[in-house]
Amino acid sequence: MSKDKGRLAGEHFMLGDHACAEGAILAGCRFFAGYPITPATEIAERMSVRLPQVDGHYLQMEDELASMNAILGASWAGVKSMTATSGPGFSLMMENLGLGIMLETPCVVVNVQRGGPSTGLPTLVGQQDMMQAKWGSHGDYEIIALSPGSPQELFDLTIRAFNLSEKYRTPVLVMTDAEVGHMTEKVVIPPLEEVEILNRPQIQKGDVEPDHFRIYRDSPDGDPGYVSPMVKAGEGYRIHVTGLTHDERGYPAMNAEASERNVSRLMEKITANRNDIIELETDKLRNAEVVVVSYGISARTSLWPIEQAREEGIKVGYLRLITVWPFPEDTISKLATKVSAFVVPEINMGQITREVERCAAGNAQVFGVHKPGGDILDPGDVLDTIRKAAAVTQKN
Amino acid sequence: MSADTMERSERLRILNYETPAESDWETGLHPMDDLLRGERLPHIWCQGCGLGTALTSFISSLKWLEKNQGWDLDKVAVVSGIGCTGRIAGYLRLDSFHTTHGRAIPFATGLKIANPELKVIVISGDGDITGIGGNHLIHAARRNLGITVICVNNFIYGMTGGQVGPTTPHEARAVTAQYGNYEFPFNLPYLAAASGASFVARWTVLHARQLDWTLRKALIHSGFSFVEIIAPCSTAYARWNPEGKGLDPENLRRRGLEVMKHYQKVGKTEQGIHPKDAHIKVNDSGEVIEIIEGEFLDETRPDFEEAINQRAKIAEKYWLGEKDALDKRKKLPPKKGKVPRTEIQLGGFGGQGIMSAGKIIGMAASVYNNLEACFTQSYGPEARGGAAGSQVVISSTAIHHPHLTQPTSMIMMSQGAYDKYIAELLPGGVLLIDDELVDLPAEHREDIKIFGISATKIAKDAGNNRAANTAMLGFWAAVEGIVDKEAMQESIAESVPPKTVSLNLDVFESGYKRGLDLVKK
Repeated sequence: MSKDKGRLAGEHFMLGDHACAEGAILAGCRFFAGYPITPATEIAERMSVRLPQVDGHYLQMEDELASMNAILGASWAGVKSMTATSGPGFSLMMENLGLGIMLETPCVVVNVQRGGPSTGLPTLVGQQDMMQAKWGSHGDYEIIALSPGSPQELFDLTIRAFNLSEKYRTPVLVMTDAEVGHMTEKVVIPPLEEVEILNRPQIQKGDVEPDHFRIYRDSPDGDPGYVSPMVKAGEGYRIHVTGLTHDERGYPAMNAEASERNVSRLMEKITANRNDIIELETDKLRNAEVVVVSYGISARTSLWPIEQAREEGIKVGYLRLITVWPFPEDTISKLATKVSAFVVPEINMGQITREVERCAAGNAQVFGVHKPGGDILDPGDVLDTIRKAAAVTQKN
Repeated sequence: MSADTMERSERLRILNYETPAESDWETGLHPMDDLLRGERLPHIWCQGCGLGTALTSFISSLKWLEKNQGWDLDKVAVVSGIGCTGRIAGYLRLDSFHTTHGRAIPFATGLKIANPELKVIVISGDGDITGIGGNHLIHAARRNLGITVICVNNFIYGMTGGQVGPTTPHEARAVTAQYGNYEFPFNLPYLAAASGASFVARWTVLHARQLDWTLRKALIHSGFSFVEIIAPCSTAYARWNPEGKGLDPENLRRRGLEVMKHYQKVGKTEQGIHPKDAHIKVNDSGEVIEIIEGEFLDETRPDFEEAINQRAKIAEKYWLGEKDALDKRKKLPPKKGKVPRTEIQLGGFGGQGIMSAGKIIGMAASVYNNLEACFTQSYGPEARGGAAGSQVVISSTAIHHPHLTQPTSMIMMSQGAYDKYIAELLPGGVLLIDDELVDLPAEHREDIKIFGISATKIAKDAGNNRAANTAMLGFWAAVEGIVDKEAMQESIAESVPPKTVSLNLDVFESGYKRGLDLVKK
């Protein structure tokens, strides 16, 4: 296949969902399995048109259970893979998201969040799946979740999601929303040469004596952040992988010690690399009295009220969680000792607010700006809350 | 240090792990040694279970294919779900994937489509494949996906202790059907065939030779092949049902064997029979008294991969068209001067191109005039027919709030849209209407600037009244001057169907001229 086959570049006035698909393709995604669901459908639509143009495959599966499993299978065939969905489908994917984590399978899952619970508000925005992203599948594990605020960033973060998933051999979530997914803005697609593309550490046929190969090898140096190389199916290593608790060979190991090793391994490869994974955008944190902590579309719509509040003389800092999970606990904890209050705008009834409260540990007050989906936040509500938080500051 | 930053030689050194002590198991005494993970034996199956025999038949057929058909067993991948049969993957020395309950088939789908070189085989139980995973079975069969599904049917959920399942015979007993099963089971060959499988067969485990032969055929088959293997559960099923009655529960091996023999005895080979008639007959006490077996279906049809590949050429043509348009795109100078936040509400009825018009403005502003632009549209039932609305925000600086707060301009192409939106227009704002479609009421807002044009008539005179939105765009471009004329023209040329470009540009020009005249006045 020619290197430039089907390669798009340049400036486009592009739908957020389409930008997501283009980001995936640039990152090297060549397999998409999905099920139609508003407001994520346009990602599947774009993929169905674009993937065959780049020698990739689009599969419309019978449901989201199948979609999630199909991308895991494709990943083990050595192909970068993705699915995209919204709340109800995300719920269906949870079990096998866990399988992906357990098998240490690189792949990307996009959730274009809409208002919930249940069927909720299919066409309208929500950010109510943020805690589900963290805890949705059973058992203990760590997850990586990114949150974009514009079609351009949805494009960029989809590429980053692939890079992180390849680097750390784990599913990565892109937690966007109906507003960003259904918004059309300028998207600049850079030439491939200018983009950092990471590929999974991988062993090929003949590299290692198959009998000696360990698919879940622990670090020989005791490095908890170590990621063991993968091998795809068909390379002669005759691997076995299982969703059961397993040992280095991937064989079932049904005891507490094996579980300790297995679960620690899954968690530590994320936590030990948190500095590489966590990406934040900050503004005027120094000397701030109030810090607005937000993510995705809510961070974006908070910028206007923040400007207003600064004009009123309030010292407002801004902290945007580009990476929501793992959560920047240290950053928030340290800030909490320096500032008086946090304001957390989000389109849910207080999910990340609670996480900020946990990290602030009583050292700073936390004010949420909440609504249960249906519309982006009213800038006036955010401004009022900043003022309220600033008033507390003055009282102190 | 993460793996990707590590030197390759270092990685290889680490991976060359000490020789596994377990390799001692490979004695070479058993002809199937090389395809079994001896270090994992003994297996977890009960004595008298039919799974060992099923596994043996499968390995025999693979070995035959390796020897006689040149199969490279490195390219064989086995996928299992959960349950007793699900453990087969773990005992085979092949690339093997033990997935979640019911999901082996979609996992296999991903493997196969992403790497068609692989021979992908799903081996799992009846509960896994036809209960929790039933939806995947029928859809993979419908696609005629080139994999083989081997479903070992023991009539029960064995691993969890013997609960009734979708294959438990009517009136048979189970832990959760102690009064007799009041449900009716699937006929699996019929289900698979009706769903689109192109190869369908059934044998009991004691028909080991026939099974071996059939599996060879199923594995070579190019589309979706489905093989049901009837295997006794010597514990959970046999203890509740007439087949195991009177057999010593302490001697499981004997009990299993007797039940196996019973199934073999009641087996009736009916090669080529319609799968509908491939029944498993039971008497009033749920005892299996007849099992129709054989190869029921073996058809050659284009498989899924072939069907997908046929589309690749069309996709390429499609792409070349798109690329051509992008290559021809002109680079225009950025818009001169600052544009303050401008909020435009477009409204009309479905079919007028209200969405396209908004998008054309946005593209002209952002791609061609290097401004910030954000386009959103109203979704939901109201967006299908009836009223249609779209919004564009344009600015020289970043657009933090993507929605309209108070529109500075309105482009209204229906009475309904006018009535709905007019109150929101900023005092001093600009209202553009198609004056044949919007009747201003006698008492209308006096605090705004109103401009009218017969957009639909202009478009109709030019030969296509569907271009009315383009006339409104020309009108808007002239009246407001926020986006350069040339940027609008390029955006239109890129957005409308190629055959209608010149017509649309003419209509745009008429609207533009009319707008300039009005502004001059």
